[in-house]
Amino acid sequence: MSTIQELSIAVQRRFGRQRLRRIILGAIPFVTLAFLWYLNTANEWLPPVYIPPFASVWEAIFLLEEECMGFMDALTMGSGCMFTNHVFSSLGRVGLSLLIGLPLGIAFGVVAGMNRRIANALEPLGIFANSISGIAWLPLAIVWFGIGTATTIFILLNTIFWLVFFNTLLGVRSVPRVYENSVRTLGGSRWNVITQVYFPGALPSIVTGIRMSMGFGWRALIAAEMIGGDSGLGFMIFVSASEYKVEEVFLGVLVIALIWMFTDRTMLVPLEKWTIQRWGLVWRPS
Amino acid sequence: MATTSPSLAPSRVVPSRRWRRFTKEGGAEILLLIVGLLLVWSIISSIIPNPSRYLPAPLVVFFSSGELIWKGLFPNYVGQTLYRLILGSILGLGVGIPFGVLLGLNRTVSDMFYPIMNFFQSISGIAILPIIVVWWGNSEKTVFTVILYTALFPIAFNVLSGVRSVPRIYVNAMRTLGASNYCIVRDVILPGALPYIATGARLGIGFAWRAVIAGEMLTGRRGLGWWIFTAQDTDHTDQVILGMLMIGCIWILLDRYALRPIEADTIQRWGLVQR
Repeated sequence: MSTIQELSIAVQRRFGRQRLRRIILGAIPFVTLAFLWYLNTANEWLPPVYIPPFASVWEAIFLLEEECMGFMDALTMGSGCMFTNHVFSSLGRVGLSLLIGLPLGIAFGVVAGMNRRIANALEPLGIFANSISGIAWLPLAIVWFGIGTATTIFILLNTIFWLVFFNTLLGVRSVPRVYENSVRTLGGSRWNVITQVYFPGALPSIVTGIRMSMGFGWRALIAAEMIGGDSGLGFMIFVSASEYKVEEVFLGVLVIALIWMFTDRTMLVPLEKWTIQRWGLVWRPS
Repeated sequence: MATTSPSLAPSRVVPSRRWRRFTKEGGAEILLLIVGLLLVWSIISSIIPNPSRYLPAPLVVFFSSGELIWKGLFPNYVGQTLYRLILGSILGLGVGIPFGVLLGLNRTVSDMFYPIMNFFQSISGIAILPIIVVWWGNSEKTVFTVILYTALFPIAFNVLSGVRSVPRIYVNAMRTLGASNYCIVRDVILPGALPYIATGARLGIGFAWRAVIAGEMLTGRRGLGWWIFTAQDTDHTDQVILGMLMIGCIWILLDRYALRPIEADTIQRWGLVQR
């Protein structure tokens, strides 16, 4: 009894009482849901065609990876490793689009935001492009690029570029003129103004744009892969659904959610918090 | 003579003032940009081979709507899509707000459901579409489920945060004065959470709009999304572009003239100034 008490005190000290409480409370619905899922497979309230048993979802990974030659083969995207190939191709598309879209969006946004006239003209364009970004471009992208990687990357780039561009533009516009003028008075060049005033001043807004673009982009990518892709997680769940392999669909959906939650939790949210803390403008002259 | 001159005077002044306001708010630049974009577009479409397949000229796109409007198909598609969006959003609001309020009332319950709602919010509606298609086929029910699912979680999530943001003091003050639970929810919690509810509604409807378009494409229910998808199948690129422009315009109109003003007014009227 005393050892249990000591253990519980030690655990509470280690994690913090409030956090521990929140973790345990938050786990309850997940556990309940998992238990209901288990009961469903045990009692077959809904047939496995509708809700597959958890074991078969887990097995689906190995079925998809059956012809995989091992770890290196999975990494080099050998033709047998279907599941990891889909995951990697989705992630690779996101990475590539970020690599192209972020610098372009930020650069255009800063340049456009520095000139009030250009900013005025481009702001409505940004609003318009954002409101048709994503899947509405899909049919046109299929006409232009055919079905495949180019189409999905086009959709993703479209989503990422416009959101980042628009947010950078807004961020740069929100930087008070006083700062620019003071740097110029002290003899700063135009380049100095960009690197020392506009870019840091717009950073919180830029990072918010990045987080938003990732959120919208990931959703758009899944939809784009379903309609105009030839690989990737979205393609996988769509094809599996048309073949009534529900366990693969469940697997894909879970992986999509987990990847997004992981990226958002461990990278984007801390990045946003840190940027706002470090670079957010606290005081603004009116 | 004497009666006509005062009526003429304002009509001469008003356009110029309006024009000045228009140019001051960047209207001239926007006009220039639109004209420039149209010019670039038409130049590109006159240079490339086979423009009717890859990029039809702006005028061709414009005139492609004539036939559709004549046949009455176009208003039909727009109406269907809007009907789905509005009904789906109403359903989402109707389920999401009570759900969020119920969860938010008790701190333990809201701590309990916060993570799982976060989890479901991160599964996009489009991702669960294949599952729902397996359950119910390509029916209207499927599209509505996807819209409801997409709209529900941002709304419920924001309502939950809103209810939790209402300071305890207000609730305690009402209790001291002898108010019932229902009275507290109606007079304190709901008004206090209204700004968050408005934000959540705008966010949820924004996601739902994208979900409607994608859902129509994937399930083949008639509407704007279905229309641009089949137009691509039948090689009518002019109609695809027209549909895209329509989708953009409708969303901007909805957002600018319905959702944003509602949100701004709600925040102005009900936002908590002092905590």
